[in-house]
Amino acid sequence: MTVRLTVNGVRHEGRCEPRKLLVDFLREDLGLTGTHVGCEHGICGACTILVNGEAARSCIMFAVQADGAALTTVEGLMRDGKLHPLQEAFREHHGLQCGFCTPGMLLTALDFLRTNPAPTEAEIREGVSAVLCRCTGYHGIIKAVEAAAAQLRTP
Amino acid sequence: MKPPKFDYHAPASVDEALALLGRYGGDAKLLAGGQSLVPLLNFRLSRPAALVDLNRIASLAYVREHDGQVRLGAMTRQRTIEFDPLVARKLPLLREATRWVGHLPIRTRGTIGGSIAHADPSAEYPAVLTALEGQVVARGPKGERVVTAGDLFRTYLTTSLEPDEILVEVRLPAMPPGAGWALEEFARRHGDFAIIGIAAVIVREGSRCTKARLATAGAGPVPLRLRAAEEILERDGLGDAAIEAAARRASELVSPDADIHASAEYRRHLTGVLTKRAIKRALGVARG
Amino acid sequence: MSLIGAPVRRLEDARLLTGHGRFVADIVLPRMLHAAFLRSPHAHARIHHLDLGRARAAPGVSACLGGQDLKPLARPIRAESRMKGYHATDFPPLAVGKVRYAGEAVAAVVGESRYAAEDAVELIDVGWEPLAVVGSVEAAAREGSPLLHEEAGTNVLLARAFVQGDAEAALSTAAVVVGDRFRFHRHAGVTMENRACLADWDAGGGVLTLWSSTQVPGLLRDALAELLDVPAHRVRVVAPDVGGGFGVKSALYPEEVTVCALARLLGRPVKWVGDRREDLLTSTQAWDELIDARLGLAADGTLSALSARVLADVGAYSVHPWTASIEVIQVISFLPGPYRLPHYRGEAQGVATNKAPMGPYRGVGRPVSTFVTEALLDRAARRLGMDPVELRLKNLVRPDEFPYRSPSGVVWDGGSFVESLERARELAGYAQAREEQRRARERKRWLGIGVAVYVELTGVGSAIPASPGAAINTGTEGATVRVDPGGTVTATFGVACHGQGHETTLAQVVAAEVGTRLEDVRVIEGDTAASPTGTGTYASRTAVIAGGAAMLASRAVKEKALRIAAHQLEASVEDLALEDGRASVRGGAGRSVTLREIAAAAYAGAKRLPQGMEPGLEATRFYDPYFGTASNASHVAVVEVDVETCAVTLRRFVVVEDCGRIINPLIVEGQAIGGVAQGVGAALLEEVVYDGDGQLLTGTLMDYLVPTASEVPAIEVHHLERPSPTTLGGFKGVGEGGTIGAPAAVANAIADALAPLGVEITELPVTPERLFRLVHCSGAREPAKTVGGLSQTRDERDA
Repeated sequence: MTVRLTVNGVRHEGRCEPRKLLVDFLREDLGLTGTHVGCEHGICGACTILVNGEAARSCIMFAVQADGAALTTVEGLMRDGKLHPLQEAFREHHGLQCGFCTPGMLLTALDFLRTNPAPTEAEIREGVSAVLCRCTGYHGIIKAVEAAAAQLRTP
Repeated sequence: MKPPKFDYHAPASVDEALALLGRYGGDAKLLAGGQSLVPLLNFRLSRPAALVDLNRIASLAYVREHDGQVRLGAMTRQRTIEFDPLVARKLPLLREATRWVGHLPIRTRGTIGGSIAHADPSAEYPAVLTALEGQVVARGPKGERVVTAGDLFRTYLTTSLEPDEILVEVRLPAMPPGAGWALEEFARRHGDFAIIGIAAVIVREGSRCTKARLATAGAGPVPLRLRAAEEILERDGLGDAAIEAAARRASELVSPDADIHASAEYRRHLTGVLTKRAIKRALGVARG
Repeated sequence: MSLIGAPVRRLEDARLLTGHGRFVADIVLPRMLHAAFLRSPHAHARIHHLDLGRARAAPGVSACLGGQDLKPLARPIRAESRMKGYHATDFPPLAVGKVRYAGEAVAAVVGESRYAAEDAVELIDVGWEPLAVVGSVEAAAREGSPLLHEEAGTNVLLARAFVQGDAEAALSTAAVVVGDRFRFHRHAGVTMENRACLADWDAGGGVLTLWSSTQVPGLLRDALAELLDVPAHRVRVVAPDVGGGFGVKSALYPEEVTVCALARLLGRPVKWVGDRREDLLTSTQAWDELIDARLGLAADGTLSALSARVLADVGAYSVHPWTASIEVIQVISFLPGPYRLPHYRGEAQGVATNKAPMGPYRGVGRPVSTFVTEALLDRAARRLGMDPVELRLKNLVRPDEFPYRSPSGVVWDGGSFVESLERARELAGYAQAREEQRRARERKRWLGIGVAVYVELTGVGSAIPASPGAAINTGTEGATVRVDPGGTVTATFGVACHGQGHETTLAQVVAAEVGTRLEDVRVIEGDTAASPTGTGTYASRTAVIAGGAAMLASRAVKEKALRIAAHQLEASVEDLALEDGRASVRGGAGRSVTLREIAAAAYAGAKRLPQGMEPGLEATRFYDPYFGTASNASHVAVVEVDVETCAVTLRRFVVVEDCGRIINPLIVEGQAIGGVAQGVGAALLEEVVYDGDGQLLTGTLMDYLVPTASEVPAIEVHHLERPSPTTLGGFKGVGEGGTIGAPAAVANAIADALAPLGVEITELPVTPERLFRLVHCSGAREPAKTVGGLSQTRDERDA
């Protein structure tokens, strides 16, 4: 089947079997390997991307379902060659170690901050609990999201 | 963990979807939010000949008030429900329960119709449908029929819907103004399915309870109305002794199964504990 | 400020934050094929027949091989050891004749896509003859039990004891003896990136390249050369970005051997990306030990003896190179902990069962030994009416006693055992916490305070093998530091990173020691073709051993650079300083040359160099810390137990750790906190469960519960920076410690919270179900009714 979609503002067209998972389409057909496959059953969150602006697991969506959609992946977060404030905060606060969960964590946090721009620490914990990280103990991640929230609130 | 091959159809209307179900004669599966079905496909535990994807049927996503009910299109996303002002006003229990459903990225895709039709007894929405005495509308080749919560759930992952029917709408009576509500849930981790969940609605007049509704998640093969416990409150009021008695009764009413996370005894015990907490919290927000 | 010790932001982050990391699954080679495995549905069964015909004929399939087909292409994995009482066994990359655990690879399909390969796997027909399943250590060790490895003649694959003094005699005369049977259940590492590998055979050069998500490229290179009969200099193993390791990726896996053999057979690159189901079924697991232990003390609380028998479930196979002994031998090595203990007897047996193989996992053995010893200390404190912190302080090895030889023969070179506990007590507000606990009990809230103190051997040198008797050398690492003609520095290492930030920390060491800027240093590691000989990263060794090698190589380069600079500046070496990439004459009014100018001269040759100096500006050095060095820490956990629901909430977690001289405090903190989070998971959530038929019941991440941000508390880490007296640079290892202390601290806190109910914690994880049994089903007193009387008992004890 033919799939036409926009990823990070760029239009793509590809052909694939209906069963092809969206994450595999992104990685294999479009060469966007920043989105990672961690569990293929919707628990770990490593594959989280934005589908029409909202965070969703790309391992439990089929590519054909994204026909016509606008997607954002980690490759699309930088602006004018500079890190997004959330990416910058992750670096500043040591919010990543191995970096495997990071793309899903960033996009989850971004969507979370859009729905809750001034969260408490407990709310951040709840928000990022959608993504498993095995390295950081979440400490740096929580601090980074806190810092990014403040940064994104200042116009 | 790649899904097996299947035919894929994304109809634009319910009629078209019904025709496809008819064509595959029970070998097709409906794809709603996919947050439970696609994992099953990836594990190759489900092997339908075809998927009929309901996500392109725009007319199945809505929240509206009608005749004292809030009617939600089956494809209304959990995320929409979480932030919907009508739901917040008329169905605060549904709103609270929604926050317990997985995580935000799951709720982006997950739908109310999908969650109810999947009939996982540990899920929140079936418990809410049961506590609120809601109904679902099923459409099939012979037209529409309304199924009450009590008639819907048969056993684990099984409803009374026919293979050629589609759950198109969920109808929940608006909660009475001043009603108290709570969803108490115990899960091992945030966002997991409930080991036990208790949905409670309390309508009070002073210390009298004019209406109590209690339903379970995780306490057996289907969500269960705890009618005998409700009756204790409606009869004896909302004092501590009555609440204790209702909670005790609740734990006697359930016959949960064991799994690796919890034994039947522990689930029974939790049913009592959480029933008590749910009633108390509901009481705290009830007016009247 | 020196670069060593600076909280430098990580150099690797930019690529990982922007989706430009390069993990094995991201690598695409021309003509690449994809492998999928048929895995055994049975835990123990004979393979009667294996019919691959339909799979081979399936669309998009290039090859399908079973164990017999692979036999001529690759030797079985065999973890050898000189250890007495150890039986080496074969671990064929694809099962031959029979399978020994559910999930074992039986056949491999190679196809145009993973989808096609998985489709074909379903077409393989196997005739199974199920055998009796050996499901528990007790059953496995019993006379007449079915055997997993007939050629070994027993399921007890290893037995060993450490003895000092006469523990039994001392226990018989001790004033107080506390003891119990403890159990730490099976644990899974769950790296977020599943295991994956990609093999490429260059027929022209006869060169095999394997990209693998591994911690140990050097070990794999040596092992693959042997198993595949390729000379080691024609085997290249690359660990690119690796998404977590925690020990799980430090063994040689069957899939790595199989994809190499397939790539050579087919003349095409073959990639296997493990999925989560395969990870949970087949990656090495941890712990799973039963420990009968007794601790004897004098009436004043002085420890006199510890005796323990440890029965370990090592699973179906002994993993290369660590062998089945790695985990359980560490338990008996470290049961004495950081304490003075005159009499000790620790016996260990490792028993094969029909489960996934046991392997090294963060902490290796010490999370278990610490849990047992620290639990016994708390019990002893309760029996003696002593404060648990005071009891520990009385028995910890004191600064004036170093070097201290532990009863199992480990030498502690130094440490801050007493200081760390005193500091933890202070920072955790221990006295106030006790007061708060007392008041909470009056309100029927159950707070508990748990303490754990541990010491670990890190940066282990050649004197003690990282795994006893194993046929490998783990005591050395090398570093090459090379200044190119442009004056920038490339440092290459045999270690491999899987999240620890080596590209930053090793660059800090090199930049500081050479005397150049951090941005002018690039670290390359995890590639056997690029690096000096080494094994990899495991056992908290990189900072110590690779860091030491980095210092030696950097110093050699610096020394030569200064000699060249002295020649250029017509000054004497003693008057020169090399800093920030510039050598200047002290007090020389700005006379200086840059490292770039020095390097240009170095490669220009004799004309521009001091007489007789060899051209070039690079050095390779190896470092062996010989014994290794002691890292230590004290953990304090404060928990609240909801006795009704049996939920445990962590209120506070304080770590006071000593990893010696710190290279980068951000990274040390990250390691400590990440380790604690895994320990918290081990204490409360994570458990691998098999049923009686050897079927894995925790085969998804819905059932194997990794903690999320909501389950991990804020963790406070404080550093005691007491440099190692024995290692170059004063570094000590820090990668594992968090996981060692946390389970014990959490278990002790829960036991402390529930002490008035007479509840003891002997089993980890403390799941809600287990707490329910302890509090509500096994004769524990009803909390609500007895709270007053019990807090009184507590007051008497505390007084």
